Amino acid sequence: MHRLLVAMTVFTYLFILLPILVVVVSAFSPTEFFVFPPPGLSLRWFATFFGTESMRNAFTLSIQLAIVSSILATLVGTMGGLYIARRRGLAASILQGIFLAPLVFPAIVLGLSLLLFFKLLGGMPAFTGLVIAHCVLGMPFVVRSVAASVLAVDPVLEEAAQSLRAGPLRGFALVTLPLIWPGILAGGIFAFILSFGELNAALFLTGPGISTLPIEIFDYLQFSVGQLVIAAASALQIGLILIVVFGLERLVGLARVVRS
Amino acid sequence: MINQSNRPDVRFENVRKTYGKATAVRDLSLSIPQGSFFSLLGPSGCGKTTTLRLIAGFEVPDSGDVFIRDQRVTDVAPYKRDFAMVFQNFALFPHLNVAENVAFGLRMSGVPKAERAAAVAAALDLVKLGNFADRYPKQLSGGQQQRVAIARAIVMKPAVLLLDEPLGALDKNLRESMQVELRSLQRKLGITTVFVTHDQEEALTMSDQIAVMRDGVVEQLGAPREIYERPATEFVATFLGASNLIDVVAVAAEADQTLVEAPCGRFTIPGRHGPGTRLRVSIRPERVALAKAEANAAIPATVRDVVYRGMTAHITLDANGLPLMAFVQNSAEAAIDWQPGEAASIAFPTGSLGVLAQGQA
Amino acid sequence: MTKLVMTRRLASFALLAPPLFVSIIFFIVPLGLLFWVSIHGSSSSELYSDQITAENYIAIISDSFYLTIVQRTLGAGATILALCLVFGYATAYVLAPLSPRARLWLLLLLSLPLLVSNVVRAYGWLTLLGRQGLVNVVLQKAGAIDAPLVMLNTFQAVAFALMTIMLPYMVISICNALATIDSYYREAAQSLRANPFQTFVHVTWPLSSPGVASGMLLVFLMSLSAYVAIVLLGGPRMKLLVSLIFDSAATFRWPLAAAMSFVLLAIALVVCALILMVLRPQRVQGRG
Repeated sequence: MHRLLVAMTVFTYLFILLPILVVVVSAFSPTEFFVFPPPGLSLRWFATFFGTESMRNAFTLSIQLAIVSSILATLVGTMGGLYIARRRGLAASILQGIFLAPLVFPAIVLGLSLLLFFKLLGGMPAFTGLVIAHCVLGMPFVVRSVAASVLAVDPVLEEAAQSLRAGPLRGFALVTLPLIWPGILAGGIFAFILSFGELNAALFLTGPGISTLPIEIFDYLQFSVGQLVIAAASALQIGLILIVVFGLERLVGLARVVRS
Repeated sequence: MINQSNRPDVRFENVRKTYGKATAVRDLSLSIPQGSFFSLLGPSGCGKTTTLRLIAGFEVPDSGDVFIRDQRVTDVAPYKRDFAMVFQNFALFPHLNVAENVAFGLRMSGVPKAERAAAVAAALDLVKLGNFADRYPKQLSGGQQQRVAIARAIVMKPAVLLLDEPLGALDKNLRESMQVELRSLQRKLGITTVFVTHDQEEALTMSDQIAVMRDGVVEQLGAPREIYERPATEFVATFLGASNLIDVVAVAAEADQTLVEAPCGRFTIPGRHGPGTRLRVSIRPERVALAKAEANAAIPATVRDVVYRGMTAHITLDANGLPLMAFVQNSAEAAIDWQPGEAASIAFPTGSLGVLAQGQA
Repeated sequence: MTKLVMTRRLASFALLAPPLFVSIIFFIVPLGLLFWVSIHGSSSSELYSDQITAENYIAIISDSFYLTIVQRTLGAGATILALCLVFGYATAYVLAPLSPRARLWLLLLLSLPLLVSNVVRAYGWLTLLGRQGLVNVVLQKAGAIDAPLVMLNTFQAVAFALMTIMLPYMVISICNALATIDSYYREAAQSLRANPFQTFVHVTWPLSSPGVASGMLLVFLMSLSAYVAIVLLGGPRMKLLVSLIFDSAATFRWPLAAAMSFVLLAIALVVCALILMVLRPQRVQGRG
């Protein structure tokens, strides 16, 4: 029985990791089409990627979008997290539900509703629209992470600060903020990563000339055949995520990744 | 209903259990008589819980054998052993109500439904929870949860009932009333019970026999009174309540008594010891006889400190450099009317002195 | 009201206002608008016509094409849930007893792919399952098959790939639940004559139900809007509900797309309620 379970576990890991591994390996392929085993290694597809203007633009746009939307999501989400963390009762539960709903809400419906909303307002620049959508989607990660951090802080600490003649603002800045800082950072980085890979809402909100990297990859896969430039684009995405995660590990510890 | 025959319900033969380098239980041989209430007492890490878990089968000994009712169970899986257990945190299944919790064991052993219901009702009545059958554990108070845990165990009519510090989670008053209740229930059912506790008062109150454990070894085994009054080792003397320890040298032996000399003076201890033998004796603070100073007192002392404790007063004394503790009953105004600096005369009744085994730290 | 209380109320309002503003203006109001659009007729020039009507919903319910798609969406969801549950529970059951450190690293290995865009993960399966993909190559070299298998553009490929994309959520959720079950409960079950199988059925499984439930909810909700994997692995003819929403929007039939969105949300709501009713995780939540 246990052997069967272990075998299934191995398959679980294969199912989850294999597609990513194969993408990374094929990105370094020297050949026109991916052959297994690869005859050598080359960076030609990365060169092709950066030589293609639409790809390059999408990559830049995705990074800009991720930075702007995650900063906004962090600011607003931290406020939300601070507000709901220690409050109990019906109103707080409703607020918590509203703040966290985008976590599980079908993003495609959110994208459509925002598109209609923007159209009704008379149009919205594509980048602004994407920032708004990704801010809404990223905010709950920050709210959740900050609220959890606040709950882990002993409320007596802030009272102690106030008893030592620190005003509420100074007490917060000097005592609470340093303690919940890792939570804010972790939430913000999640919002960044989410924005960088998000597709479903972006499908509705990108426009001609304004495309994110995932959308560009998707379009390319749909309308062009088997070129490994996509593998290179994907590998770049994975690489950037690894760098961000590594930074996260250095700053706040990786255990948060699993808990979130 | 107590049926204390000589046949033991639980027996350990040279059982050893180690975790890595740490020895939890070393070469333990033990017999727990049928129908008795047997306590394993000791500080945390002394091996008492491991001993209990060895009976249950949650731990497997490295060497030696465990028997339940003459059946060797060393290699038997826990669910095939004839025991029931009350856990420290009760371990009531949160998704089952009280009746379902109590019925669980009967259900697992395939007892028919009707029979099950009757047994559950009887067990719940026994712990006075007949009206709580439909409640869920989280709707119960700590004391009620405790009773459910007991009902869930005794309904199995096990050969031996294991209690792992079951009163530890309760507050002081509740704990004391549960002690009495648990003990009377055990007497009524005549069920062999092994009780793990670090609370010496609890062990003294409830047990027929106590095994005081330290570092995986039973330091002393005996009836509560025996253990308290005649501690065999310094550890037992100090772990069970307070003790005064006095180093003495034997002077002369006569009959079954020995006159000894200590820095504070001379007195007599029980037992024969050759002159010149160095001994360490113990006496409980409440057995130290304290009187107002007399001119030719055998052991003169000075009162250093008096702590009024309501029922008693704790008096710290200095007998020629030897610090001593005496507990005085608050039976009359005069009995506890002591002032620091006052001179006193003390005596050690021979029957209250115990000689400790040598070589103990 | 004292000045101190006033200040405090003002401060907490200042804290609440921005996130509430974002949630209301960019989440709740657009959603309300979407519903408003869904109960109007379509218009060739505007987003929707003036006329309030239920025709979009009626069209979905009465059209056998749409019903087939709804059925297929539910079928895909059920398949994904079942596979995720089996593989996810097995994996979580193996990981849970490990040391916290080992468990953390193994879960981390599973959760890193969650950070990678779904389009990349779907692309990985595209490479693996294609005519000359790794799976076919390996199988052919091993002599298990003569001609390459056609795996892409099938329902099975879509369901399987989606399953693997959602699987980490399931493993993490169940593993966290299993790891928090006090070993006392299992020991108590054994002390009450429950054999290992009975212990699992009567104790471990019900106590892990909160993790199972939250994993299933997450997996189902995520799989409902997984448009990209469906398009890439299912091909142009494989349509699920989410594809219809996108197709309708692409052809500017906004009211229909809006109505389908609400059908999708309704399905989500019903299935989630069903999962909660069957698993009853609230039995073990909020204990102690």
